[in-house]
Amino acid sequence: MTVDKKPIRFGHTEGHTDICFDDTGNYIVTCGSDGDVRVWEGLDDDDPKSISVGEKAYSAALKGSKLVTAASNNTIQVHTFPEGAPDGILTRFTTNANHVVFNDSGTHVAAGSSDFMIKIVDVSDSSQQKTLRGHDAPVLSIAFDPKDVYLASSSCDGSVVVWNISDQVRVTTWKLLQKSSDVSNAKSICRLSWQPCSGKLLAVPVDQAVHLYERDSWKEIGKLTDDFIKQAVNVVCWSPCGKFLAVGCVGGLLTVWNVENQECLEREKHEKGYTVCGLAWHPKGDQLGYTDTEGCLGLLEGLSAGSVTSSKLPSSREVKDYDDLFDDDDDDGVLEDHLSEKQSPSKRPFIEDDDDDDLMPSLGRSRHRGAILDDEENSLDVASVKPEMEKEAGENYKHGPVEPPGRLSYDGPLPTPRQKPFQSGSTPAHLMHRFLVWNSVGIVRGYNDEQDNAIDIEFHDTSVHHSMHLTNNLSHTLADMSQEAVLLACESTDELASKLHCLHFSSWDTNKEWMVDLPKGEDVQVVCLGQGWAAAATNAMLVRVFSIGGVQKEIFSLPGSVVCMAGHGEQLLVAFHRGTGFDGDQSLGVLLLQLGKKKRQILNGEPLPLSRKSYLAWLGFSAEGTPFTVDSEGIVRMLNRSLGNTWTPVCNTNEHCKGKSDHYWVVGIHENPQQLRCIPCKGSRYPPTLPRPAVAILPFNLPYCQVTTEKGQMEELFGRSVLFHKHLDFLEASGYEIDETAKNQAQKEQQELLMKMFALSCKLERDFRCVELAELMPHNVVTLAIRYASRTKRMSLAQRLSELALEKAAELASSCVEEEEEVEEEQEDFRTQLNAGYSRTATEWSRHQNRIQQQPSREKEQANVVEEEEEEEEGGGGEVEVDDEACMENKKSLHKLFNKAGNSTEQSPKISLMSSREGRVNPFKVSATVKPSGLSTGQTRSTNILDNMVKSAKKMAAPVSQTSDKQKSPVLKPLMPKPRSKTQATLFKVSTNKNANKSIDDKEKEVLKMETAVPSPEDTENRKPRTGFQLWLEENRNSIVMDHTDMDEADIIKEGMSRFRLLSTEDRMSWTEKAKRGRAEDPTELKKRKRTEGEEKDQVNGSQADEAPKKKKIVDASAKLSAFAFNKD
Amino acid sequence: MDPSEVEFLAEKEMVTIIPNFSLDKVYLIGGELGPFNPGLPVDVPLWLAINLKQRQKCRIVPPEWMDVEKLEVIREQERKEDTFTPIPSPYYMELTKLLLNHASDNIPKADEIRTLVKDTWDTRIAKLRLSADSFVSQQEVHAKLDNLTLMEINTIGTFFTDSLNNLFKIRANLQPRGESTMSQEY
Repeated sequence: MTVDKKPIRFGHTEGHTDICFDDTGNYIVTCGSDGDVRVWEGLDDDDPKSISVGEKAYSAALKGSKLVTAASNNTIQVHTFPEGAPDGILTRFTTNANHVVFNDSGTHVAAGSSDFMIKIVDVSDSSQQKTLRGHDAPVLSIAFDPKDVYLASSSCDGSVVVWNISDQVRVTTWKLLQKSSDVSNAKSICRLSWQPCSGKLLAVPVDQAVHLYERDSWKEIGKLTDDFIKQAVNVVCWSPCGKFLAVGCVGGLLTVWNVENQECLEREKHEKGYTVCGLAWHPKGDQLGYTDTEGCLGLLEGLSAGSVTSSKLPSSREVKDYDDLFDDDDDDGVLEDHLSEKQSPSKRPFIEDDDDDDLMPSLGRSRHRGAILDDEENSLDVASVKPEMEKEAGENYKHGPVEPPGRLSYDGPLPTPRQKPFQSGSTPAHLMHRFLVWNSVGIVRGYNDEQDNAIDIEFHDTSVHHSMHLTNNLSHTLADMSQEAVLLACESTDELASKLHCLHFSSWDTNKEWMVDLPKGEDVQVVCLGQGWAAAATNAMLVRVFSIGGVQKEIFSLPGSVVCMAGHGEQLLVAFHRGTGFDGDQSLGVLLLQLGKKKRQILNGEPLPLSRKSYLAWLGFSAEGTPFTVDSEGIVRMLNRSLGNTWTPVCNTNEHCKGKSDHYWVVGIHENPQQLRCIPCKGSRYPPTLPRPAVAILPFNLPYCQVTTEKGQMEELFGRSVLFHKHLDFLEASGYEIDETAKNQAQKEQQELLMKMFALSCKLERDFRCVELAELMPHNVVTLAIRYASRTKRMSLAQRLSELALEKAAELASSCVEEEEEVEEEQEDFRTQLNAGYSRTATEWSRHQNRIQQQPSREKEQANVVEEEEEEEEGGGGEVEVDDEACMENKKSLHKLFNKAGNSTEQSPKISLMSSREGRVNPFKVSATVKPSGLSTGQTRSTNILDNMVKSAKKMAAPVSQTSDKQKSPVLKPLMPKPRSKTQATLFKVSTNKNANKSIDDKEKEVLKMETAVPSPEDTENRKPRTGFQLWLEENRNSIVMDHTDMDEADIIKEGMSRFRLLSTEDRMSWTEKAKRGRAEDPTELKKRKRTEGEEKDQVNGSQADEAPKKKKIVDASAKLSAFAFNKD
Repeated sequence: MDPSEVEFLAEKEMVTIIPNFSLDKVYLIGGELGPFNPGLPVDVPLWLAINLKQRQKCRIVPPEWMDVEKLEVIREQERKEDTFTPIPSPYYMELTKLLLNHASDNIPKADEIRTLVKDTWDTRIAKLRLSADSFVSQQEVHAKLDNLTLMEINTIGTFFTDSLNNLFKIRANLQPRGESTMSQEY
């Protein structure tokens, strides 16, 4: 078909216009914002007749000799046609009507008004009125059903409603459109249209598509889309024959479709690109008149010869024709699928792309959920009818070769449109009143309406700065704020470059702001502020970093286009597109940079996890500086730095929503106290600026299993507590001052939880689990656990736990040793390896310190531990020959030693830890004790490794090196006892140091304390079975005293211990044997049990004899314990 | 009781404010308040809220019931029923008065709310007068009045009890003349 596009001509002044043809087709009638209705006798009519109907005419309708207009005086007037004489007023509204239409027979007029009402008036008797109420916003357009049963209307509230005229009730409602506050703000005036004659289809313009709904079933049976349609469809109009649909778009595109095969017959561009707002077919169907928002009138002639012929056919035939069309293809009754099926599936995603793009200008889709569901249903249908479709493929091609056959068969994953860049905590840019940003510092609001284009900056804490009001001359659309500055940015316009505008209010000089122009063609997309710096990401995939005073600093390229950016302190977090996501998923990557003095990249563009089919909705830092993300499904994730920078989901905000379409809009996150600050939005994703939304606080919840049970609850609490206190470690590591009390409190809380979980597992008789839990506990809590276990008569558990306690003590000790040796040997050249582990051990160590500090009574226990370890030594020493594996590993470590003597100090504790974790039972074990070999081998090995330490020899006390000469065994090197004794010494030192704030003068005190600590085992010796060491010591004491006359008691014992360890295994065994014989009174009792009992006795004795604070502590501990017991039983 | 005393009692009611300053917990005799974080809602007694508001240290979040739609429902309910309907807050009148006087800029549609609350109040007071009237005229000995707020009781309490006393005295003086018949009447 050939179309003749006539040149447009001016008809009215700028503003909304409407057009219609008279019944004969001789006249074109237009109305416009100049308040005139013009009657044209064709486009070339130089002197159209003007009828003045008011100040402005919004809409006109013509039927027979009656011309009905909606004018600015809020009335619906009737004029005679073509004379133009006033013929009375049909009805009035409280504000102007937006659209007025005649029904087919011309008996009734319907009008929709900005006062949300629709009135249907009998033309002959204007007292016969029907009012349709139910829209919540101005009515945009209305359409009479040709059969006069229904009336369709669209409104600014986003809904399209079909009403039953006689009952004045809603038949169906679709939430299709974007909400707007007024007709002038609506993206599209959404002129609907019923298919003439049959009224079988209702065409509704929805964004860039036209949806076709079927009468009575009200199902969407198809969608007309075209790649050329880039902007919203404004007007649709059926040809009189009902076969063709003319579509007028914002931006001036006119298309004509053959609805039967969804073929786009004609695409015409408005010559000036004005928005088409009025569209009318000539009654003969060969001409299409249109008007635009600039008051111009145009005409397309020679449309579709076919349509001319068909329009001549009787209308009944027409309907049949249409039915046939559906029936012959598809006898299975999947009528409603048919149209969508015809539409090429490969084309669909692009359509949806456009939809989405348009609807989520800055922050994702604000589209109504229902519509999304609709879409999904529809696409599902397409999938289900797929095989059928392929069968019929040939047939389809006959109808219209829309797509090449190759594309039709593709059914793999489809790419997702990329989400647009956005600013965290902002509402979409198309809103007139919006939040440019809402974060933990304050709020930046933007107003952009007729009277005002302004920005309001408000601080939560008015002590930071008072609120500010700026006129937004540059039309800034991006903003971020920190305690130091407010950063604004605008995109480039035709004349002006994209600008970055910083209000640096904390500056101490008089220039409180600076501005930077970006290079031509580069637009700011996201901005953020950190401490002392500002950053802007641009569409050139660059991130530009400025100092807060405006100095340009770093500049780097991003691996993909930016999505969002956030700053905190010295950290910069950037989310960007790594690639194209498929099937609704986004493919985002994340960068985390440290911008301070030591610049480094922490996250190197790793994929950012998001929920299925969701997009990023918020990205930022908690107040403590941990990165967090929120996706559109409401899942909040935090970066877990201790688990290799993984992301852990910590909250699902949608779980807290009452309604399905409610959302929470996150504005800030705090880790201590655990708060997710967000704004509840009823029925939307974003809050309105007015009334001022209130912040709500949501709790965090790790998605653990079975959180309804006590076990699950406690596990969740513990896991969360651990996770949410990681920031302390991070802050400490990055050199910030941290709140020690908060840290201690957190540890206490975690220990309590562990203890509760332990008690629960005890009650459930899950001993293995108990041990697992105990492994998580620090040493002093393990002792509590042991007491709990022994009190509840779970001896085997208590025994295992005590082994664990020993292990922990050893670990603690070795970390002390490490620490010291590292300090001493710092200058030596093995730094690479050491440095890797250094920071970690340091933090672990400090943690231990804290724990030690918590229980001064530990000193006493230490004394016991000394004995314990002695016993182990014996057992372990005996085993060396038996345990092959241990030997092997010994060799290995020896080998290592030769290579790098220094390293072994670093590694030995780790090895011992590893092997002890194995916890295997040694079948060859001969010792009387029932310990798992893993533990003892670990001990042995570590001592052996330490034996071979030549390096630390210099630290050894001179007397010890002397004794080395007396060594019988050539294998055992002199250093072997050293770490042990040293361990003890350091342990003592640690506790005292802590107590006395690490002053060196306290060495004397330390000695004193040791004296109080050491005699206690001696006091209880008569009650307590002696160990081999004690027996040995008694005999050899004199010799030691002779060697070193100046020694005090503690040193003698130390010295004794070191010497004892230097004895050969056989010797030691024999001493142990002696000791055993000595305590053969109750052989059935387990040794461990005795120890724990003895320990308790010890403590009782000690507390009676010793000073008050110790006593108090013990009471505290047992009180705590009994509290657990009470709770659990 | 004086109305000002009733108001004083009402000032203990908790309201939500959004402070624009930061302050740790405050320990008072009546309990601890806070901590105050800028931008985060926190519950404080009315007296403190008003004090802070006057110093422009906070925004007051109106109570949930202080909403035109909800109050309209309450007013309609109050008009429809003969008895007193339950009221959302025992100090609704005092709260409304204080909040609207001091923080009307934080309360959307303050004027409408004022009218609505006043309407409800008037209706209730009218009911109260009516029932007092019938109480006296029918010479009832006791009456049960549910859902009355302290302020409402206070408006009529002293006057009513005094009048009843006086009435009793008058009647007692009347008694000697028609002793037997009157006593039977009671």
